[in-house]
Amino acid sequence: MGVTMLELRNLSRHFGGVKAVDELNLTVQRGEILGLIGPNGSGKSTTVNLITGVYLPTSGDVFFQGQDISRLAPHERCELGLARTFQNIRLFGHLTVWQNLWAARVVRERGWSGFKQRWLSGANAAREQAEELLVFGDLAHKRDMLAGNLAFGEQRRLELIRAAASGAELLLLDEPAAGMNAEEIEDLDNRIRSLRDQGRTILLIEHHMELVMEVCDRVSVLNFGRKIAEGTPAQVQQDSQVRAAYLGTDEAATA
Amino acid sequence: MDFYLGLAQIIGIHSLLGLSAWCVLHTGQVSLAQGGFFAIGAYTAGMLTSMWGWPLVLALSVGALLAGAVAVAVGFPALRVKGLMLVVATTAFAEVVRLVFFNFKWRVQSPEGLVGPDGSLGFGGIRYFPGNGWTTLEVCILIWALVSAVLLLLWWLDRSRVGTLWRAVGEDELAAQSAGINLTAAKVSAFGIGGAIAGLAGGVFAHYATHIEHNNFSILLATFAIAYPIIGGLSSLAGTILAVIFIQGFLLEGLRFIGDWRSLMFGVLIVVVMLVRPGGFLNRSLGSGLGMRRTARRANTPSVSNGGHHA
Repeated sequence: MGVTMLELRNLSRHFGGVKAVDELNLTVQRGEILGLIGPNGSGKSTTVNLITGVYLPTSGDVFFQGQDISRLAPHERCELGLARTFQNIRLFGHLTVWQNLWAARVVRERGWSGFKQRWLSGANAAREQAEELLVFGDLAHKRDMLAGNLAFGEQRRLELIRAAASGAELLLLDEPAAGMNAEEIEDLDNRIRSLRDQGRTILLIEHHMELVMEVCDRVSVLNFGRKIAEGTPAQVQQDSQVRAAYLGTDEAATA
Repeated sequence: MDFYLGLAQIIGIHSLLGLSAWCVLHTGQVSLAQGGFFAIGAYTAGMLTSMWGWPLVLALSVGALLAGAVAVAVGFPALRVKGLMLVVATTAFAEVVRLVFFNFKWRVQSPEGLVGPDGSLGFGGIRYFPGNGWTTLEVCILIWALVSAVLLLLWWLDRSRVGTLWRAVGEDELAAQSAGINLTAAKVSAFGIGGAIAGLAGGVFAHYATHIEHNNFSILLATFAIAYPIIGGLSSLAGTILAVIFIQGFLLEGLRFIGDWRSLMFGVLIVVVMLVRPGGFLNRSLGSGLGMRRTARRANTPSVSNGGHHA
C-alpha cells in the first residue's frame, strides 16, 4: 500500500498504575481516512494527545512521515503538517472567524520565505488558501463575527478549517460529530471526504458508529489502551472481540 | 494650573505603566513584575542623565531597552509557570529588584556635588528638566507624546499578526499550540515589549520626580499596573487610559479629602469590576456582556463527555 504518513511504534502512556495506552502500534497511510474507535476510556483521547504532543509517551515512538516526533512540542508538530480539532471545541472565542484562521496560518508564514510571501510576491498562497477554506466551511459571510458568537455547528466547522489552515497534511479529528444532529453529521461526512480529496490524510476518532462505518477506509479498535482489531469497517463489525468490547459477553465479564 | 499639569504628568506616566501590563495580560499572563521593570528604567535613565550627562532621549531609550532585555531574560524561565505561580515568581522578581536598589550605592562627583543612587537614602538630584529649563508644560507635552507613541505602536501591533497571536495565546494556550503557535515566543515577546514600556515609564518617572527611592517601586505599583488594564478591559487601549484617569485623577486626587479610605475604595473598585464586568468596563461586548458569556458556555458543554486531556 501507499506511503506511511503516521506510525505509532509500541506507544505507551501510563498514568500511575493505569495503562491508558499500552504498546500501541498503528499506521496511517497517506490519503486514507482511518477511524479510531473504542468504548469510553479505551485510550482514544490519550492517543490523540500523544500524537499531537500534549502528552509525552511513557515509552515508544511516534513517527510522522518517517521522522521521529515523539519529543517535539505541539507547535513544532503542527509546523511539520499535523493538526487537530478538539472533542470540546477550543476556538479563540474573542477573535473573529478570520483571525482564528489567521492565527493558524501564521505558522506557514515564518522566516524569510514567509516574509517574501507576505511582502514581496503579489500573490499570497497562505492567504488564498485561508479564503478558500472559509468558503469551504460556509463561513465566508461570517468572517468578521466573533468565533464565540457562532452557532454550535459553525464553531465545529471553524475548528475544522482552522486545523486545515495550518497547512496540515494529517488532520486528527477528535470526535467531530459530538453533539451534532443527523443532518449535520451528513454534512460533516461530506466535508471530511472533500478534505481527503484535497490531498489530506484523516485520522478520525469518533463515537458515532454510522459516521465511522460510512466514511472510513479502515478502522482500528482500541480497548483498555490496546488495539484489539483493525480492518475495513465491514470486517471490524464482524469481529467477535469488538462485539465483546462494545456489547459485553460472558467471556468479557469473566476475563 | 500647575496642579492639573502635575496630575496630567502622573496620569501619563501611569498610562505607560498600564499599557506595559496590557501587553502581558494579552497573552493571559498576570505579571507583578512591571514595578521591577519600571525601577530598572528609572534608575538607568536617571543615572545616565545625572551622572554622565547623557541626553534625555538616549537615556530613556537605554533604560527602556535594558528593562526589556531583563524582561526577556526573566521571561524565559518565569513564563514556564502559569497563573498563581507566575504571580508569585514575578512578585519575587520585583522584590529582588527593589532590594537591589535598596543596597545600590554608586555616587560620582558632579558640579553640584555627589550624585547617584545612595542605597536606602534613595537617588536624588535627577535634575535634567530643571537644569535645562524645561517648564512643567513642556514636560507634560513630552510625557503625552511618549504615551501617544506607545499607544500608536500597540494599536498597530494589536491589529498585526503579533496581536492576533498574543490574543490567541491568551484565549486558549492548548488550542494556540495545536494551531502551530510557539507559546514561548508569544509570551516572551509580550513580556519583553511590556518590560520595555515599563522601563520607559520608569525613566520618565525618575526625571519627573527628581528623587527616587526603593519604596517607589513596591508591590503597590505593580498592583496599580495590572489594575488599569483589568478595570479598563483588554479589548481596547482606550480602556486602560480611562482607567488610569479614573483611578489617579478621581479616586486618588479627587477624593483626597477622605484620606486613607481611598485605598479601600481602590480595592472595592477592583472587586466590583470583577463581579459586574469581568472583561473590564470597556469590554467589546458593552451591553451584551452577559449574552456573550452564555453563548461561550453553551459552546463548551460537549466537554462534559470526556475531559481526558485536561489532566
